[in-house]
Amino acid sequence: MISVECASGFCQSPGIIPVKLTFQPIAIPLVLTLALSTLLTGCKPASDSAGGSGSGGGKKKIAFVSNGVASFWTIAGAGVKAAGEKFGVDAETLMPVEGISDQKRIIEDLVTRGIDGIAVSPIDPANQTDLLNRAAKRTHLITHDSDAPASDRELYIGMDNYSAGRLCGDLVREAMPKGGTVMLFIGRLEQDNAKRRRQGVIDAILGRPANPANYDAPGTILEGNGFKILGTLTDQFDRAKGKANAEDALAKYPDLGCMVGLFAYNPPLMLEALGQANKLGKVQVVAFDEDDATLEGIQKGHVHGTVVQNPYMYGFKSVEILSELAKGNASVIPASKFIDIPARQIRKATVDEFWTDLKAKTGAKK
Amino acid sequence: MRKILGITALLIVVCVITSLASSSFLSAYNLENLIRRTALFGIISIGVAFVIVTGGIDLSIGSVVCLVGCGLPWLLTTHHWSVPTALAAVILVSVGIGLGHGLLITRLRLPPFVVTLCGLLLYRGIARGFTQDQTVGFGSEFKALRSLATGQIPLPFLSGFALPAPWIFLIAVAVLAAIFLNRTIYGRYLLALGRNEDAARYSGINTRRMIVLAYVISSTLAGLGGILFVLDVNSAQPVDFGNFYELYAIAAAVLGGCSLRGGEGTIVGVIVGAALMQVLRNMITLVTTHNNIEFAIIGAVILLGVIADELVKRYAARRRAARALAAEGAG
Repeated sequence: MISVECASGFCQSPGIIPVKLTFQPIAIPLVLTLALSTLLTGCKPASDSAGGSGSGGGKKKIAFVSNGVASFWTIAGAGVKAAGEKFGVDAETLMPVEGISDQKRIIEDLVTRGIDGIAVSPIDPANQTDLLNRAAKRTHLITHDSDAPASDRELYIGMDNYSAGRLCGDLVREAMPKGGTVMLFIGRLEQDNAKRRRQGVIDAILGRPANPANYDAPGTILEGNGFKILGTLTDQFDRAKGKANAEDALAKYPDLGCMVGLFAYNPPLMLEALGQANKLGKVQVVAFDEDDATLEGIQKGHVHGTVVQNPYMYGFKSVEILSELAKGNASVIPASKFIDIPARQIRKATVDEFWTDLKAKTGAKK
Repeated sequence: MRKILGITALLIVVCVITSLASSSFLSAYNLENLIRRTALFGIISIGVAFVIVTGGIDLSIGSVVCLVGCGLPWLLTTHHWSVPTALAAVILVSVGIGLGHGLLITRLRLPPFVVTLCGLLLYRGIARGFTQDQTVGFGSEFKALRSLATGQIPLPFLSGFALPAPWIFLIAVAVLAAIFLNRTIYGRYLLALGRNEDAARYSGINTRRMIVLAYVISSTLAGLGGILFVLDVNSAQPVDFGNFYELYAIAAAVLGGCSLRGGEGTIVGVIVGAALMQVLRNMITLVTTHNNIEFAIIGAVILLGVIADELVKRYAARRRAARALAAEGAG
């Protein structure tokens, strides 16, 4: 993009430059500019009307924006695709690679393209209100997975992460009826859903009454109800670091009772660390989400259970709602502005059925 | 050797402090973990040390780790290639990447920073492309292959402690690298061209070929690192696998005495540098409950160590100069 602007600077003032001498040097940027601009205009569908609702092609265009890249979002993508076909809209799934700045860029570009509706999982809702409100002015905007209640989003599709966290905490109590020590593992704590999920786990383990407004700092050791929560380790999505965290926790607390992995990739890394330490089955594992290794761990009895969301329905429902909104049907918005897609607990008894259904939805070969 | 005294002392100090603060630090399990991590990061650090010795830089290491780390399970599990073919393919790709970097830098005279920065973007992008951003891994298969990284070699006189397999790779790489750098004429060429490329060329050294070789070594070892990382972790997500590992590698090499201006470097120092980074990260988890300030602590400890090292060196140099002056005056 930069090269286009900078080269077009050359084009505006060709008279100043002595023609013969500099013809060749400016010829290269000129040709590049031409090539690039034809390429860019060729790639993009005719969507110059950045007005929001107007898209030339007839089919409404809807975008589903995740908060990062994960297999979780691939399942959601399957729901997006299925709903796109069912409701006759162009639905695409976009996954930001580099966190919040990348997500901002994607949303801005979508609005510029004149998209008819965006469903987004905001990474940092409290500080993205401006961005979301600007987008909401130009198109239909809803949130999924993680809400931004302070923004002008039309509704939120997802589960309550605090309640889902409590379901996970209940699994911990079930796995350790006599109590014991617990260590929590999570990718990062900045995002709202991560904070609430972790707090739900903590409150349920410690037997506190439900109050989503609670907050315990990650560094403090928490005790109660026969349990001792030793801490929360984050890895910023570096998997080698995630595995190292699990190993270090095992080294620091040789008698650790239970490991809880709160992002989809954490439980498999915990299982790797436990396997290498020959402690599989000796330390309780409670998981979140439905990574293959997690489900296999439940089958083998190395994982007590996991709490699963329904990403497929996040994707499906988002596209369904947005396609209705894009047609001008606002009656799909409930008064609570919240469509609940509840989380479920999966244990050994239910894992096979769940996994078969999951494979059918994602078209997995195995 | 004198160059790495400071960093070795810092490593020992950090180890002593950590073992005093946490009884788990010296447990066999923790030491095995530390040795395995040091080996993995040490291998990629030795690679980049060769490039740094020539006065160049390789920013593409993390992305090569990603490309190979995602490529190997992708070839094995999605495309069902045989293990030898898949290994040969990813190693060939790693060698090819270094060859490409080296030729662009020596023939087209492009700056190493630019060439390898583009590589950083390119290889991760390619990995994301062919995996379609899917997490790849070996599941519960390829146990034998994975034992290259997860395996343990029992030691004859030590019960309860077993040497992690990657350490063997590190030692093999380190011995070969040290012999190459210090005992062969080509190693001398590398150091010479790092100090002054023109002088080296005028004295008859084929500097271009040596620079290409340095980049090939760097990317090949990054590839080997990528293989071992993914065999160890068993799961690679192309978006973040190996992210920033070039900086860990460069930091380890520089801590270990490689001058970014080229012409200097020791292999032992690089391993000590890699170990220091891993021990610091381990210390933060074992001793504190605040792993969110990890990078701040690593940065601060290394900075303090480097400052102390520099001050000690200056003090020693001043004393030497003063003594020489005194000796002259007396004579």
